Amino acid sequence: MTEPVPAAGGGYALPVFPYRRPAELQGERRRHKVAVVGGGLSGLTAACDLAGRGIPVVLVDEDDTVGVRGASSRGIVYAQKTLEIFDRLGIYPRIAEKGVTWSVGKVLADDDVLYSFDAARGSLSKQPPFINLQQFYIEWYLVDRLMELPAAELRWRNRVTGIALHEDHAALAVETPDGAYTLEAEWVIDASGLASRIRGALGARMTAEQGEDRWCISDVRFKKPLPAERWTWAKAAFNDGRAVWQHPMADGVWRLDYQMGPNADPQLIADPETVRDRLRRHLGTSEVEIVWVGPYGYRTQLMEHFRQGRVFFVGDVAHVMNPFGARGGNSGVQDAENIAWKLAAVLRGAAPEALLDSYDEERRAAGAHNIHVTTRTIRFLAPRSPFEHRFRDAVLDLARRYPFARALVNTGRLSVPFEYRASSLTTGGGGAVPNLPITLPDGGDGALSDLLRGDGASFLVLCFPGVAAPELPAGLARCFACNGAIGGLPVIRGAALKRIGSAGEVLVIRPDQHLAARLVNPAASAVRAALDKALGKEIAR
Amino acid sequence: MKTDPNIPDADGFYEAIIAANEGLSDAESDAFLLRFALLLANEIGDQQLLLEAIRTARELVAGAAGSR
Ligand SMILES: Cc1cc2nc3c(=O)[nH]c(=O)nc-3n(C[C@H](O)[C@H](O)[C@H](O)COP(=O)(O)OP(=O)(O)OC[C@H]3O[C@@H](n4cnc5c(N)ncnc54)[C@H](O)[C@@H]3O)c2cc1C
Repeated sequence: MTEPVPAAGGGYALPVFPYRRPAELQGERRRHKVAVVGGGLSGLTAACDLAGRGIPVVLVDEDDTVGVRGASSRGIVYAQKTLEIFDRLGIYPRIAEKGVTWSVGKVLADDDVLYSFDAARGSLSKQPPFINLQQFYIEWYLVDRLMELPAAELRWRNRVTGIALHEDHAALAVETPDGAYTLEAEWVIDASGLASRIRGALGARMTAEQGEDRWCISDVRFKKPLPAERWTWAKAAFNDGRAVWQHPMADGVWRLDYQMGPNADPQLIADPETVRDRLRRHLGTSEVEIVWVGPYGYRTQLMEHFRQGRVFFVGDVAHVMNPFGARGGNSGVQDAENIAWKLAAVLRGAAPEALLDSYDEERRAAGAHNIHVTTRTIRFLAPRSPFEHRFRDAVLDLARRYPFARALVNTGRLSVPFEYRASSLTTGGGGAVPNLPITLPDGGDGALSDLLRGDGASFLVLCFPGVAAPELPAGLARCFACNGAIGGLPVIRGAALKRIGSAGEVLVIRPDQHLAARLVNPAASAVRAALDKALGKEIAR
Repeated sequence: MKTDPNIPDADGFYEAIIAANEGLSDAESDAFLLRFALLLANEIGDQQLLLEAIRTARELVAGAAGSR
């Protein structure tokens, strides 16, 4: 485990991972269980989750480092649900140590703070609402973790150039420094980002829209002490009345993101002199070290189907949204978790293949929702007509005085887990269960995620006082009594448990910690029915 | 949405609106109406009602949204 250091004079020194000649190029014929294409946030999470559940997985990436070719500065905000997933995968402690934990956000208009919020208020999870960290660190930690997992094989400098779908497998055309080969896998997770070749080769349908708004990111270091908070200006005089973001991350680097005029020339807005001048106006000092500058425009993309036969599309391949609210990477990680437990369950024979259809059902709905939410933010930040400008001014004006209008000020609605309320797997509930801190049956301190770790894809059945211990077939779920003995069930304890369930209730929690069912004094057959439904056995019928 | 008379003193209400806009430029009256609408929207606080009022107002001005 090596620690990256910011390189002198700006950027970062990124790790280089070794290329090895793949077995297929040494004359071996292999049929992999699962191939993951792309070692970004989504692909690495999927591989890590599968390998952690004991499912053999091979991951190919065209590169041999983390971060996307030069764009070392992408996502920085990781939300609670994502942090909970990383906790289950075992990399959370490194993220917490390296990143900036924050929960307070302020929304400003020029010099006025319109409102502030503390996302930690009411939080039940062991993980904080947010940690900011450069995306490549997270990718790095995931790679380190994967290297510890015997079920995972990483293939760097392996570029996928095409795909053929067959009855019982998919064949990927892969190029390496040693030449081309065919990689056969029963299932493929395409996590190769917004320009996926696989998506193109399969002719999969997608809606795409290019925005005209332009932004310029400046990742910088400076001496001036600022609070570790998220500040967003709906409009700022120091940026010609346009929006600005100010956010800390690791290594003392700040993400300053400036809204530019519509269709502004990317070359001009990222011109070093212009950038320095903008920073001076914002920070009131010229003593600023520039780590990375990048102009960008946003786009929206959404695939029509997130599954095509043996291929699943996760992360930016499937959906691209503008970054306000940090919904891109966070939802990619949640896509990855969703497909990982389902594939694990199917590959272990615990669920019918039909379960895999629910990946498209659940995650496409989440993608469409996230795009809708982020599109609303853009409409607020970039009014399109004189009327929209005047209406927004009225909102900002009222927000200075009255709390009600603050709710209308939209500088990004931060990423929250999608609720699978309408999913065919859900008997009742569908929301994410927070990663409650608990006392484990052995008396140690832990969290709900500790009960979900390990081989296979386990469901949790939590029994609250007064219910009968349900008799379940072995291996279907891990059953616990909450805050008091029930039959011979292992007991977990914690004040927070009372916040998610009451006496007489049984909660059925999926391997991704979403609630599948909340049952009141159920017969064992009702618990089994909820588990069967959550395993896709109803879809299969 | 109520469309039968519900304002206790209709003439007084009309008079008050006119008086409040006395001496304002068109732009200022426009700003006035936007703020007035936002204050009332919060007061009503019923999403269905608000959406119905938005739909009705739009139809009165230029037909249903998306019809041109
Ligand atoms: C300015 C900006 C700010 C953002 N801020 C946030 C934020 O704060 N929080 C957040 O959650 N998200 C944020 N995002 C979004 C986030 O960066 C993306 O959603 C995320 O990177 C998507 O991850 P991914 O793994 O799906 O794809 P990518 O990160 O694009 O990874 C794709 C991988 O596939 C590999 N690859 C590509 N083609 C091939 C091929 N043919 N063969 C083999 N390998 C291939 C690439 O090398 C790469 O490693 C931001 C994005 C931008 C642009």
